[in-house]
Amino acid sequence: MKSSHIRNFSVIAHIDHGKSTLADRLLELTGSLTAREMQAQVLDSMDLERERGITIKAHAVRMAYTAQDGELYQLNLIDTPGHVDFSYEVSRSLASCEGALLVVDASQGVEAQTLANAYLAINNRLEIIPVINKIDLPSADVARTKEMIEGAVGLDASGAVLISAKTGQGVPDVLEAIVKRVPPPKGDPENQLQALIFDSWFDPYRGVIVLVRVFQGRLRKGGKIRLMSNGRVFDLETLGVLTPKPVEIEELVAGEVGFIIANIKNVADTKIGDTITDEANPAIEPLPGFEELKPMVFAGLYTVDAHEHTQLREALDKLRLNDSSFFFEPESSTALGFGFRCGFLGLLHMEIIQERLEREFNLELITTAPGVRYQITKTDGQVIEVDNPSRWPNPSEIAKIEEPVILATILTNEEYVGGILALVEEKRGKQKSFEYVSANRVMLQYELPLNEIVLDFYDRLKSVSRGYASLDYHLSGSWESPMVKLDILVAGEPVDALSIIVHREFAYERGKSLVSKMRALIPRQMFEVPIQASIGAKIIARETVAAMRKNVLAKCYGGDISRKRKLLEKQKEGKKRMKRIGRVDIPQEAFLAVLKVGEGE
Amino acid sequence: MPLGLYVSVPFCRSKCTYCNFASGVNSQSIFDRYIDRLCCDLQSADHFASGIGGTFDRTIDSIYFGGGTPTILEISQFERLFVTISQNFQVAADAEITIECAPGTLDDSRLDVLQRCGVNRISLGVQSFVDREAASVARLHNRTTVLDDIRRLRAAGISNINVDLIAGLPHQTSASWEFSVSETLATQVPHVSVYMLEVDADSRLGRELIAGGTKYHAHFVPDDDLIADLYEMACDRLVAADILQYEISNFVRPGFKSRQNLKYWTRQPYLGFGVDAHSMLLSASAPAEAVRFSAPDSLDQYLAGRDARITPVSRASALEESFFLGLRLNQGVDLVEIESQYGSDDVRRFSQVIAHFTHAGLLSRESNVLRLTRRGRLLSNEVFQGFISGSNESQAAEVAL
Repeated sequence: MKSSHIRNFSVIAHIDHGKSTLADRLLELTGSLTAREMQAQVLDSMDLERERGITIKAHAVRMAYTAQDGELYQLNLIDTPGHVDFSYEVSRSLASCEGALLVVDASQGVEAQTLANAYLAINNRLEIIPVINKIDLPSADVARTKEMIEGAVGLDASGAVLISAKTGQGVPDVLEAIVKRVPPPKGDPENQLQALIFDSWFDPYRGVIVLVRVFQGRLRKGGKIRLMSNGRVFDLETLGVLTPKPVEIEELVAGEVGFIIANIKNVADTKIGDTITDEANPAIEPLPGFEELKPMVFAGLYTVDAHEHTQLREALDKLRLNDSSFFFEPESSTALGFGFRCGFLGLLHMEIIQERLEREFNLELITTAPGVRYQITKTDGQVIEVDNPSRWPNPSEIAKIEEPVILATILTNEEYVGGILALVEEKRGKQKSFEYVSANRVMLQYELPLNEIVLDFYDRLKSVSRGYASLDYHLSGSWESPMVKLDILVAGEPVDALSIIVHREFAYERGKSLVSKMRALIPRQMFEVPIQASIGAKIIARETVAAMRKNVLAKCYGGDISRKRKLLEKQKEGKKRMKRIGRVDIPQEAFLAVLKVGEGE
Repeated sequence: MPLGLYVSVPFCRSKCTYCNFASGVNSQSIFDRYIDRLCCDLQSADHFASGIGGTFDRTIDSIYFGGGTPTILEISQFERLFVTISQNFQVAADAEITIECAPGTLDDSRLDVLQRCGVNRISLGVQSFVDREAASVARLHNRTTVLDDIRRLRAAGISNINVDLIAGLPHQTSASWEFSVSETLATQVPHVSVYMLEVDADSRLGRELIAGGTKYHAHFVPDDDLIADLYEMACDRLVAADILQYEISNFVRPGFKSRQNLKYWTRQPYLGFGVDAHSMLLSASAPAEAVRFSAPDSLDQYLAGRDARITPVSRASALEESFFLGLRLNQGVDLVEIESQYGSDDVRRFSQVIAHFTHAGLLSRESNVLRLTRRGRLLSNEVFQGFISGSNESQAAEVAL
């Protein structure tokens, strides 16, 4: 199709603001299958799909639409992941479009997530069409929603399309607006090939499937392609588009979106943001904006049952097949045994991986306190990166520590601002802006150390705002901070799994709270057990588990010796299941409880 | 070696909240069926014992009626039991015959019959002399009842009386405990048992405590440390009054040690009859081996004639028992004596454990004799764990049978 008749767009919306319902309506109106019909159809034709070997992930759907001007247009709806952890992926999806629908719930208004993605769209020079959804609700306030779009996003909302995705009201206007307002893609099919990878996943039958947007030139079935970041070359076996049913085609030209299958075994080869070019006639330069994704949040993963260590490794290997953005390496802990140090894009990413490991692989896991990666300049001038407390250098060797900093955008109602300000100040935040985006809606921007976010920020924000605040953030740089390694010692022995990196000023509070938690969780031993928090050799908090006073059977039981023996055996077995730190037996549940509760008070 | 007999009477008028025995409140009609079954077992004890490789001497020097509340039985039922016992065993002339008795349940006619049957020792389940404490765990008596019972027993010629006390009852304080101990001393009974409240899922109060609730006055139960203090206070007071400790929970004036209970700790043979009654007999063929067995722990199963649960005690197990039972006694364990029974190689395997707990101050050793220290008594389970092998071994033995 001529590029003048192609429109590439995505939908930006907060969770529950109606993105998928709108997408369904658009598919219906253009005569495509809706996502729901799709699911049913796919289920019906499961075997067929298996034969063809394509798992369906409708992240780029091509629709055919005959506009009011009588012309036939090709509309490509490109999906974006919804979470801040995946903001780079969002940015690449947006880079594949010329326009975006900004969907805002008429009763809820603009949320931080929407805002962040809207800014990304603006930065990518996308034409943004405000769409105000749920206008059929009694609580809908179109005027105020427009005011917020103008105040927070800085867009002219006078041309906003008013719809109810639920009833279908106004949806045809959305299609017209896309055709009229989103510019057609530029690019020349005759140029050297440049195609952007904006999504990829591993399919067990066909290998890696890659979603691309062609910017220049053309992708032809049977050709040889080269990935510009790593120089790897593949044979382009299959080329297609999702309607959302996969349909094979012969070529994709500049301006178009589709999928390719090229016998790629490893999803790590197809990095999002990379540029595909033609092996025979390569482009001189890749498309701009490629970044290697770097993990930002780090934690140790251990199995509760030490025997499941091998299963954990296999599960991690399998997950990595489909998700090259997390990394892991073996580590061991005296307290928890053998496990893996893992890096994630963010907290949600960490939770997703954890949940998949537990659900899909049936593993019971212990996760150590999440932390971030610090850049440390040593006194000898050497610069190292440390994300594992166990590798923290001796304080005397440290000249400078830099910690990662994020720019957080928080949208909330006026009444919760006080509580939120107190929270961000406590979390060492630096204010960047404070704005009313409408009469009682406030937008805050703060620079905050990532370290404080991974600790308990979400939960705290939720509680101070009673859920009426939305947060978005992205990495914005780093600053120097006096971080220290806080160790917990049980009877004089450090418990490695509980060490954390913390700002010097918070060390005392954190130490005190960890120590008192441990005290409550460690069963009394036959001797007094001191529990201490220390920075280096300096003890900053201490509590004591008093020695056990009594463990005795003071009864006769009419000569029932088996009962006594069983009790003794049970107690002895119980001790075997504990982890021994020095002379002290600690139940594994104690670690679990400290690491889980760890935060949040 | 003369035998001890234990007869379990698992019936009560009301169930105490701390009770974790297989006793319950049942209608009188079931008592006769129960006595039938008991008598039947008493008659076939000989046959049963030989069937499982155990042996015993028909002479018995101790009989113990435990409960439940044995005094709940009718006079005629007692008479049947005693007749059956004397028909099947040789009761020694000086046999110690004890009956457990809930204060207020032993009327004159019952007492008269029991005495004629030979009962010469009474164990009173006092638990506390503070009425509020006794009531809070559903005991049906008060302090006056107890003092009255003791007076009547003495008037009838029974002076070998034991008083049970429990440290750790709801509402108990140091002062109230001191009162209970003082009252006990004032009665001048020759034998006192000091138990500590046991918290497990087998009693209502225990379950409530584990759940952290407030039923059964659970939230008024003193904490573990206070219970330990109460126990030590009782030890001190009793010993100061020349009622000497001879076992973790038992205190006595010279000459009044319970013959029955000593059998349990010194591994002398005993036969138990009735619900959840336990027996130990020495092996007929292998010296140093033994066999333990127990009747079903529910009344229904017992009446239905279910089989006993049999646990053979290997030589190794017997040696472990010698330690963890013998150490309960203040006289301790004589290592030379044990070596002569089990051989020095086997006994020396425990040298490290002994050294460890001696070093930790829980065991003390004087020439050949090993004893728990004062602190060791309260932590005796910790010590005993060092003397037992894992559970796998004993389970395997049970399965193999």
